[in-house]
Amino acid sequence: MSASTHSPVLKHHFEDLGQQHASERLGMWMFLATEVLFFAGLFGAYTTYRLWYPAEFEAASSHLNVLYASINTALLVTSSLTMTFAIRAAKLGNRGELIRYLLATAALGTAFMVVKGFEYAEDFREHILPGAGSFGGEIKADAEARGLDTGKVRLFLCFYYIMTGIHGVHLVIGIGVVLWLVQQSYTGKIPPDNYSTVEVVSLYWHLVDAIWLFLMPLLYLAGASIKHSH
Amino acid sequence: MSSLLPFIPTMASTFAVKFEILFWYITIVTGIAGLAVYAGMLYFCVRYRRSATSGSTPRILGSTRLEIAWTVLPMFLFFSFFGWGAVVFNHAAHPPADAMEVFVIGKQWMWKAQYSTGHRVIIGGNPRNMNEVERQSIGRLVLPVNRPVKITLTSEDVIHDFGVPAFRSKIDVLPGRYTTVWYHPTRIGEYHIYCDQYCGTWHSLMVGKIAVVGEQEFDEFLYGIQPLQGTENPVDGSLAQEGRQLFLKLQCVTCHSANAVAKAPVLEGLYGTRVPLKGGGAEVADEAYILESILKPRAKIVSGWEPIMPSYEGQITADDQAALVAYIRSMKRGTTPDVTAQFPAPNGAPTERPKQPASPGGK
Amino acid sequence: MSIAVIHGGLAASPPPPEPEPATPNYLNNNYGIWSWLTTVDHKRIGILYLISISIFFIGGGIAAGVVRTNLLSSTGAIVTEDAYNRAFTAHGVLMLFFFLIPAVPAVLGNFLIPMMIGAKDLAFPKLNLASWYVFIAGAACSTWAILAGGIDTGWTLYPPYSTRASQANVVPGILGVFISGFSSIMTGLNIMVTVHKMRCPGMTWGRLPLFVWSLYGTSLIQLLGTPVIAVTLILMGTERISGVGIFDPSIGGDPLLFQHLFWFYSHPAVYIMILPGMGVVSEVLTCFSRKNIFGYHAVAWSSMGIAVVGFMLWAHHMFVAGISFYSALLFSFLSMLVAVPSAIKVFNWTATLYRGSITFQAPMLFALGFVVLFVIGGLTGLFLATLGTDIHLHDTYFVVAHFHFVMVGGMVMGYFAGLHFWWPKMTGRMYSDWWSRVAASIIIVGFFLTFIPQFILGYHGMPRRSPNYAPEFQIYNVMSTAGASILGLGYLLPACYLSLSLFFGDRATANPWSATGLEWVSASPPTVFNFEFTPVVVCGPYEYAIGVDQLGRGLPEPPGPGSADDPASRDGPTGPAGPMKKETEVVG
Repeated sequence: MSASTHSPVLKHHFEDLGQQHASERLGMWMFLATEVLFFAGLFGAYTTYRLWYPAEFEAASSHLNVLYASINTALLVTSSLTMTFAIRAAKLGNRGELIRYLLATAALGTAFMVVKGFEYAEDFREHILPGAGSFGGEIKADAEARGLDTGKVRLFLCFYYIMTGIHGVHLVIGIGVVLWLVQQSYTGKIPPDNYSTVEVVSLYWHLVDAIWLFLMPLLYLAGASIKHSH
Repeated sequence: MSSLLPFIPTMASTFAVKFEILFWYITIVTGIAGLAVYAGMLYFCVRYRRSATSGSTPRILGSTRLEIAWTVLPMFLFFSFFGWGAVVFNHAAHPPADAMEVFVIGKQWMWKAQYSTGHRVIIGGNPRNMNEVERQSIGRLVLPVNRPVKITLTSEDVIHDFGVPAFRSKIDVLPGRYTTVWYHPTRIGEYHIYCDQYCGTWHSLMVGKIAVVGEQEFDEFLYGIQPLQGTENPVDGSLAQEGRQLFLKLQCVTCHSANAVAKAPVLEGLYGTRVPLKGGGAEVADEAYILESILKPRAKIVSGWEPIMPSYEGQITADDQAALVAYIRSMKRGTTPDVTAQFPAPNGAPTERPKQPASPGGK
Repeated sequence: MSIAVIHGGLAASPPPPEPEPATPNYLNNNYGIWSWLTTVDHKRIGILYLISISIFFIGGGIAAGVVRTNLLSSTGAIVTEDAYNRAFTAHGVLMLFFFLIPAVPAVLGNFLIPMMIGAKDLAFPKLNLASWYVFIAGAACSTWAILAGGIDTGWTLYPPYSTRASQANVVPGILGVFISGFSSIMTGLNIMVTVHKMRCPGMTWGRLPLFVWSLYGTSLIQLLGTPVIAVTLILMGTERISGVGIFDPSIGGDPLLFQHLFWFYSHPAVYIMILPGMGVVSEVLTCFSRKNIFGYHAVAWSSMGIAVVGFMLWAHHMFVAGISFYSALLFSFLSMLVAVPSAIKVFNWTATLYRGSITFQAPMLFALGFVVLFVIGGLTGLFLATLGTDIHLHDTYFVVAHFHFVMVGGMVMGYFAGLHFWWPKMTGRMYSDWWSRVAASIIIVGFFLTFIPQFILGYHGMPRRSPNYAPEFQIYNVMSTAGASILGLGYLLPACYLSLSLFFGDRATANPWSATGLEWVSASPPTVFNFEFTPVVVCGPYEYAIGVDQLGRGLPEPPGPGSADDPASRDGPTGPAGPMKKETEVVG
């Protein structure tokens, strides 16, 4: 095991790069399992209440902005595409392309958060909020008009904010890690035989995307059959 | 300093006996198993302790037959515990239909009981958390011996637990929900009630007493001839009577009158029937349904009626809710009060009841 | 089957010469606090955890002292109700989250797993160090919450009390638990990847020491269970902070949902706490009876069985909480299932002693104590898993006694057994044999005296978490407190002689207990990279009967009564009476 024969990216406690990459990948898949369990608690709780209070949950959902959510879905799915291209660039050793695709991914993720910001601002303006005092506006009037329990409508909104909020936190962390990858690549620490670092981060990114793909229909499309004039 | 506890605590109900038999079965089986393991370990440790003349040890890897044996045998024993325990639990979970009913409300940090045909009593708690009136009416939950009683419980704030060791029984008491427990007391005496779910500072003082008395004493207690409490109970009247007064005071009768063109369904004979709901489906009109209809009337609309009932949430206390539910349960054919009826005072009740002008509460 | 056939005629090499005392070893290759705080060496990180959790053990112990002293009087002997409620909450939070959960995995697991499988380090050394910092951050946050006014919700944090009624430092308290949960996940992840990917040549899954199997099961639980409590704490915390949340009955929420989510983690968590201890017991019992483990596969599979089935039992904490009758039936049935693998282990351990050559140094005393106390703890769990009896025993001192038997009588014993067993390897020093045996004995006796009276109290209905209790319970409370003082004294002894051994203890040889694991191959204390060569494993663990370690080399003389008349040592390993010609005996 002389120093001259092994790759500079090989960490000292691994026997060879194959073991190192296999470990990194396995580790990330295990971490993703923890994230799935984490969100599973939220999804499980949501599902329970949705089964108990279908009318209120559907009515509440119908007041959310599906347009913003759709734009966000498109942004996030595209970012997964750019992330995959980034892996390819890393495998081919194309540093410029790698950095560009990573930046594109980060940019799309940031765009998602910006759209989310607009969406939350609109929600605040329209009093689509779960607090006893802050809940009001059209969503409240509509619920009362339908004879629904406004408490359970507010319960839906608790889930809306907590689930999209936690997802947003994960996305911001992902953007941070992607930017870190940009820095790593810029300083030459991602040669072709270490592309697995990019692959491992992309696994996380795809999970954040996948969670959104489940979250979005549950929260935004539950009330799709109810039409309002905004 | 007190003397040692009895070997087996007092068994004051039929369930307590069932518990004890099961408990001792498990104790004996697990005791034998545990002692057998200890005996084996002790014997091996003594017999095979190393000495200067010990040789080397044999290479023993295991025995499939033994593994199977000591997997299957414990499994069957454990399943016997499960099976017997399930039978006993089933007994505890299903009260008989003719059980006498009592409502109990738990709140930080006291217990209040309301009989459906009798008194309202505070049966335990921390005197420091009570007002003067409550403190003077601290009594016991009086129950007749040899008659099953079903207790329906709810909490006004956090989760509590109504535990009676002499009956070997407990049940959590939840806010926003009713839970039930039942006993068949068999022994006259006084027994502890404990709060068995941590609920804050005075959780350990949220204790009370159950008094199991003879049939005659219990009847006298119910009719107020012999108040078995500490002092005069200031409210004396059946729960349903209380509920009737509220029914009029809150102007429920304005819509829920006996009139055929009333704005709301007639409530006579409602309890226990299956109610068809707007939008499909049906629901049995039990206590929970009645309560929900009072607090959240738009949740389940009866088929053929409009959703016009206002909500009474936040305007009536848990005690009053129980009274209204009891009254509606008791409404038999022809008993809906007249819209213009004055509400008479029940026997022994304070006579000053303000006459409310006709403006219903709610939004 | 003779061994010669199994190993293709492999002859055991003679016991290796004692390795040169390693200089530098992992302790002295770098001095200075900064080298410790920036280390990525799994052994140093294990020591960092050791020091940290010892501090929290002391804190939790002080809280226990307040609780037990106060219970001397039926109306509270020394503190107010509010203070008592904070004391038992502090005891639970500190002991469970900041001592028991990290104890064996993060101290012994970190230190030993790479060595036991022949690796140089864990898979992610920097993640390992990060896990310690995260642990410290979380523990500091909760400790601050406890010291600055306290938490009074009980470690179980049920709403609505915790979200609405409690006036205490709930949010910082649960924030600390939340943060340290990530440490638990990181450790579990690290251990699992390491065991999957970094075993040395010849170390197949079927040759892993049982300690590794049990830590693998533990890590599985840590990985999959901890995220659920994380999200539960977030949900509870936001409800408390914002005043609105999903457990609030007034908007249609259900406090029982919290209980389901909470126990979904917290029940498997108790298996995080016990499985590593079981792994230690397997290592110690085999070494001190000089025998193979009886039923290796059964014990290994039972660890995995407990880990998996343990996820399906959570609502047995909720039988009287308002769940449906049919739910209760299901969870009771499944709870019976999980008792079976535990029973299998106990029987296999007992059978391991059969025809062994047993000595009773401290690690063995602690391990035997584990088995004895765990048997009671596990059997009393059956009373609680049985529906008919749980109604009466739930939330009484019966439950308190049960879980202390398994967690303290089980796990803490297991931790002490491991600490005493591997202390020479970790520190290069031997401690006093006599004092350690005395300590183990005092701890076992003190433990019995503390917790057996609590079974009686619970059977008579004394509720948990009650500073005021019915006067007729007082005598058993006094007995329990008296036992607790003996137990406390017992715990002080190791603190003393183990610390003293660091300065005055005899230097330890590489393999003072003559054990077979790979961790005993290198010197005591080990070098930074654990091995001077890549180990190649040729046989399973626990070949004490043949007298070889996992590299196929002979074992040194085990400590204890001499074996001068042992025919094996006269004839040598391959002589007519020697171990290499030993037949495998079939029993049962």
